[in-house]
Amino acid sequence: MSEPEQSLITDEHRAMIGVKSDPVTVTVREEDARRMRDILGDNDPRYADGTGIAPPYVIAMFGGGRGNARMPQVLPGGLLTQQEWRFSRPFKVGEELQAITQVVDVRDRLGGRYGYSVLVTSGTDYYDAAGEHVGAAMITITQFDPKSARDNS
Amino acid sequence: MSQRYYEDVNVDDETEPIEKLPTADMAVEFFGRDNPTNPAFADAEAGKRMGIGGALVPGLLKLSWMTQYVSDWAGPESNVRNLRVAFRRPDVAGNAIVYAGRVVDKRQEDGKNIIELEVVTLADGQPSVRGNVQVELPSRG
Repeated sequence: MSEPEQSLITDEHRAMIGVKSDPVTVTVREEDARRMRDILGDNDPRYADGTGIAPPYVIAMFGGGRGNARMPQVLPGGLLTQQEWRFSRPFKVGEELQAITQVVDVRDRLGGRYGYSVLVTSGTDYYDAAGEHVGAAMITITQFDPKSARDNS
Repeated sequence: MSQRYYEDVNVDDETEPIEKLPTADMAVEFFGRDNPTNPAFADAEAGKRMGIGGALVPGLLKLSWMTQYVSDWAGPESNVRNLRVAFRRPDVAGNAIVYAGRVVDKRQEDGKNIIELEVVTLADGQPSVRGNVQVELPSRG
């Protein structure tokens, strides 16, 4: 596919921005925390068994940024190109969090390795049982046409 | 792990580089056996078909190591508050990744002592992930 003469992002795609998903329950699982600590070689005593605190990177197990929100699918290929994590407080082992996902931004990108591409940014916020914000994960997927990417390589 | 204090940190301070060696087994174990993962995480052939040259190292694994790297640098009374990274190029299992960082800002926000670092992962000397990490440090006072 050559560079399009105008954006392939439609009003339907833009209408998905800011639409919040239904809440999804995620659990801070002890087995995830332990397994990840072991793999990373993390001996930080704050997150040891029995402390009740999970390391912040356990957020990687929550499926953050994807959730069940509708995502604009403008082009067939997709690559994770940016990621952000935010922590309002430490995660407690065993606690259940409510995850709410929304599309934050959809924009064109011209040129570059993938030719014409579309950047789709989505974010998931996590809330505890009291409704307090605990953390957030945001991802940007670069959507591209694989054939166009090959032509540009 | 020793504690670092806000007053002792200066812009342009560099963090001690460390090396990590990711493996394909790590990628599978990281997500747990029950979780679906990209086939290229565990299968070098799948990675080669994608043009990566071997089994792909998950971005979330690299991000987790970055969290640990900054947290270890900052000490047990610190709190990592935010990480924002751009994945510049894929990393291949079996190739060492070096984490290195530099302090780019220090400021007080809402009564908290915030240090911001630029952290990069290097594979064969080339950056594969570039990140900005904010960590809260205690004060000596």
